[in-house]
Amino acid sequence: MVRRAEPLTPSYVPRFKSRLHDERVAAWLGIWLGVAFTSAFVTGLISHFMQQPPGWLMWPSRPVNLYRVTQGLHVIGGLATIPLLLAKMWTVYPRLFQWPPVRSVGHAVERALIFVLVGAALFQVVTGLLNISYWYAFPFFFTSAHYWTAYILVGALVIHVVNKWPKVHRTVMKHPEDGLNRRGFLLGVAAASGTVAVTMVGEAFSPLAKVALLAPRRPGVGPQGVPVNRSAYAAGVSLAAANDPAWRLQVTGRVQRELSFSLEELQALPSHSARLPIACVEGWSAGATWQGIRLRDLLHMAGVAEDARVRLISMEVRGIFRTSWVSSRHWHDPLTLLALSVNGETLDLDHGFPCRLIAPNRPGVHQTKWVRQVIVV
Amino acid sequence: MKTRITAYAIGAGFILLGLWGVLTGTTNPRGWAFWFAGAVIVHDGIFVPFVLLLGALTTRVPASHRRFVQATLLVGGAVTLVALPMVLGFGQRADNPSILPLAYGRNLIIVLSVIAVVAVVWTALARHRKRSDDPR
Ligand code: HEM
Repeated sequence: MVRRAEPLTPSYVPRFKSRLHDERVAAWLGIWLGVAFTSAFVTGLISHFMQQPPGWLMWPSRPVNLYRVTQGLHVIGGLATIPLLLAKMWTVYPRLFQWPPVRSVGHAVERALIFVLVGAALFQVVTGLLNISYWYAFPFFFTSAHYWTAYILVGALVIHVVNKWPKVHRTVMKHPEDGLNRRGFLLGVAAASGTVAVTMVGEAFSPLAKVALLAPRRPGVGPQGVPVNRSAYAAGVSLAAANDPAWRLQVTGRVQRELSFSLEELQALPSHSARLPIACVEGWSAGATWQGIRLRDLLHMAGVAEDARVRLISMEVRGIFRTSWVSSRHWHDPLTLLALSVNGETLDLDHGFPCRLIAPNRPGVHQTKWVRQVIVV
Repeated sequence: MKTRITAYAIGAGFILLGLWGVLTGTTNPRGWAFWFAGAVIVHDGIFVPFVLLLGALTTRVPASHRRFVQATLLVGGAVTLVALPMVLGFGQRADNPSILPLAYGRNLIIVLSVIAVVAVVWTALARHRKRSDDPR
């Protein structure tokens, strides 16, 4: 005889009548969520360590679109996870009222860890969603709170998986499907996730831009057809400062000869073009054709060690992204440019006029705009 | 048993690492704790009861339309929730029109209409299939 999946509602709690509050639905949703959270954790760590690489880690500059894909997966996958998470917690909600509330010390610890799991999961998706919609309603800095909570979530998830594995194995792996009702519900949840993904993915995958009806960004919308994360106004860079005839791009630090260029002098240097995306930490990305001087050429002109690291300084007056590091792998890449124009036009002030960095496989926040100094260390 | 204990140790290690990070590496641990616990309380105390109530109301819908209503609410509700911050538009900034550039209210209505149409077709097809499967 086929054993039916057990309902999660104890029989003396009459309120939860739907058959969907049961073990097998919880198990299926749990498997999907496990995959989704693991993917979010891995892609999130990639983003973190691309922005703050420990000394031993050298990110490659290729493939060009690697970060674009991992961060797109992180954010759009994360949004598609929201329906799964809500469905899972709806399914197991009757367990909140189990009686007696705690049966033993072990049981109390398990329930406390469920609180940690639920809290961390909700925290990650809520702060993530608010962050990509630029609604900074929370009283802390997003990135560090979201980063550390990820470890709490994954720790609680590991323990949860170990505890529930026998049940998952029993209900999902060993039993045949025993009801359309349940399949319909799971299909509905998958459809909700799919709809979220389809209405968002075009902010990173431009062929679907027109379908991205609910995405916070639209490739093609912005000055010169490229969206902007931080405007010149927000960065405190005025048109007067950027247009100042006294502006010079300086190459200093551990160089054989220091260099200094006016804008006209830069424009006279050999120029190259590259098709590269701005791939934002917030998951959107948009490709553009950039034109400018290879950073490699400039550094060779100044005479630097092949393994030198380079620091770019912006004209921005405030903010943590006023400077960025360029590793030797990145500056050796012929696609890494100090761009002067985008899509055939002189850079808009919001895109970093007079001169900005654009490099392959690099988070947008590190594509420093309004560059005024290149320091070799 | 050994793998189980190893896994518990790894899990506990990650949790402690995260807690240490929250305490030492974030800008406002108190605000963090408030949002962490607050999310659970709002979810368990307000959000789910509201969803359960809606679910209970759908059982009053005539059986012929019930599946359609439930499917539309499930998919449409989830999509609305995710789209809500865009529709409310608190993130808009005067200096940067490329942030939240679309008419999200209108777009949400379009998406919800498509969901409803798909749900009609899908439930009708399912009913049709069931009828033709009937051995009578
Ligand atoms: C709705 C779901 C989610 C969204 C929208 C989202 C969004 C984001 C964004 C925008 C960033 C970039 C932060 C920055 O560098 O400024 C990020 C980073 C990150 N996310 Fe998420 N996230 C979500 C879910 C998750 C989940 C479930 C996890 C954990 C399993 C996670 C772990 C991380 C980690 C570790 C980072 C790196 C943070 C850093 O750079 O220090 N995220 N996320």
